[in-house]
Parts: sequence; C-alpha cells; structure tokens
Amino acid sequence: MGSLKIEIKNNDLRPDVSIVHFDGALDSASVTTINRNFNKLFEGKRLYTIADMSKVTHISSAAVGELMGCRQVLTEKGGDLVIAGLNLDVKTKMNQLGATKIFKFHNDLRTAMNAYSWQIEQKPEKVWISFPPELNFVPPVRQFVSRITRQKGYGQRDSFRIETIVDEACNNAVEHGVPDKARDIELFLKIDRSKLEIEVVNLSDPEKINSLKAISKSILGTEEKKFERGRGLALIKMLSNDLAIDFSGKGTTVHVTKLREE
Amino acid sequence: MNNENPYIFKVKIPADADYIPPIRKFVAEILQIKNFDPKFTFRSEVIVDEICHNAVTYGSQSLDATVDLVCSIYPDKAEFQINDQGGSAEHVERLKTAMDKRDEALEKEVEFFKSNKGLGLEIVRMLSAEVDLKIGDDNVTSIRVVRKREEI
Repeated sequence: MGSLKIEIKNNDLRPDVSIVHFDGALDSASVTTINRNFNKLFEGKRLYTIADMSKVTHISSAAVGELMGCRQVLTEKGGDLVIAGLNLDVKTKMNQLGATKIFKFHNDLRTAMNAYSWQIEQKPEKVWISFPPELNFVPPVRQFVSRITRQKGYGQRDSFRIETIVDEACNNAVEHGVPDKARDIELFLKIDRSKLEIEVVNLSDPEKINSLKAISKSILGTEEKKFERGRGLALIKMLSNDLAIDFSGKGTTVHVTKLREE
Repeated sequence: MNNENPYIFKVKIPADADYIPPIRKFVAEILQIKNFDPKFTFRSEVIVDEICHNAVTYGSQSLDATVDLVCSIYPDKAEFQINDQGGSAEHVERLKTAMDKRDEALEKEVEFFKSNKGLGLEIVRMLSAEVDLKIGDDNVTSIRVVRKREEI
C-alpha cells in the first residue's frame, strides 16, 4: 500500500466549503491521519466538506468507519461531508461496506460544489430554450422540462404536472402566436429545491390576441363570462400555484409558478 | 424546411452534468420528429452527450457557467453547435491537440485519445461529416458538428 497524503484546501470558487484532498491508500494505518486532519476542520467555520478522493487507490473498512464518524461530527455542527471523484473499485468497496447509505457521492469536485449551491444555498438554476412555433415540437419540449425536474429530484407526480403545464402553455403559444418559423417561442425555467418558475414567451397573432385576452380574463377571474375555449389555461391554473399573463408589447408572456409538493 | 430556412432550436443550460441526459434526449426527439431514422438520432444523441460532457467537465470554470446548444435541422443534414465559456489553458491546449490529430490512423488515434481522456471527441469525429473547433478571444470554446442524412 502506498502512503497517504491529506491536504485541506480552500477553493476560490467556493470559499465557504472545505475541500479535503486524499492521495494514496486509505488503509487502517491512515485512521489517525484522517482524524488529525478532520480535527482541524471541526475547529473552523467551513463545516460543509467535500472529500476529493479522485486519487484514492484503496479504502479499508477502518477508514470508512473513521470518515463516517467525521461526517457525524460535521452534521451535528450543521455541516456535512460528501465524497467526490471516487474510482469504480473504491466506490464498489464503499458500497459493500454500506457507505453509500451514509454519504452522498458526486462524480467530480465541480458536481459536488454544484450540489452545495443547490442543496445548501438553495440557489436556483436557469434554463432557456427557444423553438420554432409548431405543435409537433411541443412534446420534446415538455419532456425536456419533465426530465430536468426528475433529474433535480422532483417526484414523478410533480414532474408529470409540470409537463402538463408546459404542454398547455406551449400549445397556446403556438396556437395563438404568429405562425412564422423565424419567430421562435421562448421558454425560461428557474428551478430550485422548492419550486419551479416557468415563463413562455411568444409573439402574438394580432387577429387572435383579443380573444386570448378575453379568455385569460375569464380564467383569471376578472370577468364572469365563460368561454368554450381556454381549458388549457384553466388546467394550468388548477395545477400551478400562481399564473400570470402579460399582454404588454407585441408578445404574450405566461408566467407560472409551481411549488414542489413531494 | 429547406436549406436556406432550417429549423433552429437553441438551449442554454447550467454547466452541470444533471442537464445532459435531458438535453441529449431532446435533440434525439426533435430529429425523430423531422423523420431522421433511429440510427441517425441515436448517434446524434451520442455526439451531443460527448460534447456536452466535455463542455461541463473541461470547459466550465466558474460555478455559474453555462453551456449553449444550437441545433439546426436541414432536410439533408443536422448541425449542432455547442459553446462553453472556456476551460483552463491546459484543457484548451489538450482540445486543440485532439482536433489536430485528425489525419492519423484511427487505431493510433484511439490509443492517443484514450491516454489523454479525449476519446469522446474521437467518437464524435467518427460519427460526423464535419467537426470544427473555434476558440474566441474571450476563451469561449465552440464545437460545430455536421451530420448528413444517409438515407437521402
């Protein structure tokens, strides 16, 4: 077994996070070294720690146990210990030792830092997409959004409802927008752990804008009259937590907020 | 759809691996809609996956970095342009070297790329009609890939 080097570094991108770089074999003799280095961390303020294990060649059960103990101390103090960059052999060993139930694993350091932004800072992430105004492109767009929400940890039901909202909003944008391929429909997403904001923007067809305004007034409750059309907007309103429609300028903007329920 | 007036799709995602499976599936689905065959769409999915992974892993230094994809669909071809905000000098140099290796024998290249973690780019080149790299003054790295529809 090779010797072990442990180095605690700060990252300029994430100065509020401690990064512990391990290099070599984490055998049973390394327990004292691990303990000594983590004791320095416990005294500091940067309690969210990423263990960069991309250069770890071997891990023993004693070392895994020691890391579990370190994580427990960090979580009790309000921090966490996550693991990044493990090779397949070491990850398999940790899986056999049950460590995958305790630690969060990330493919690389950057993904681990992104996860900190997402989970701890609850920083929203933004996605933008523009597509030609044709109905047959709406299914890939709605599935794209639904896949993102599932990938970001939203439940199946929430994701399906979000897919329905996107489908209805984009279909409306195609049906009531200018049928010019050069006038793309734009979809903005702002997603965080607790909610998703969706904004669909299109250039309105002047011949259809008045009927759309009347339908939206009816749906949003500012006018009594009921319309046969406009079920899509009614469905969006039922499935979302907030719906706003803006007709200012030449375009129509539908803004929907959907809180995560699961 | 004609050659002067392609269908253009643009997507901007955070430089995070979580977004790559949705984006590659999106590309495959729009190609299917425009009647590209399953083999073409799957290979295009592979290309988008490889280049996006490179962009996220090597081409995004800041935490708020983004990756842009422009997909242009013509009757006889599909073009993908993927931009990232630029990696470290070492990674940019490695990318340039990988692009310059285009004239060597395939077997030799594969070995070279394996040892340099650049196999993804080699796969892209094998599956494409054209691959171009541009690195702007602001370090923005842009890879443009052209795939021709085979069944026409």
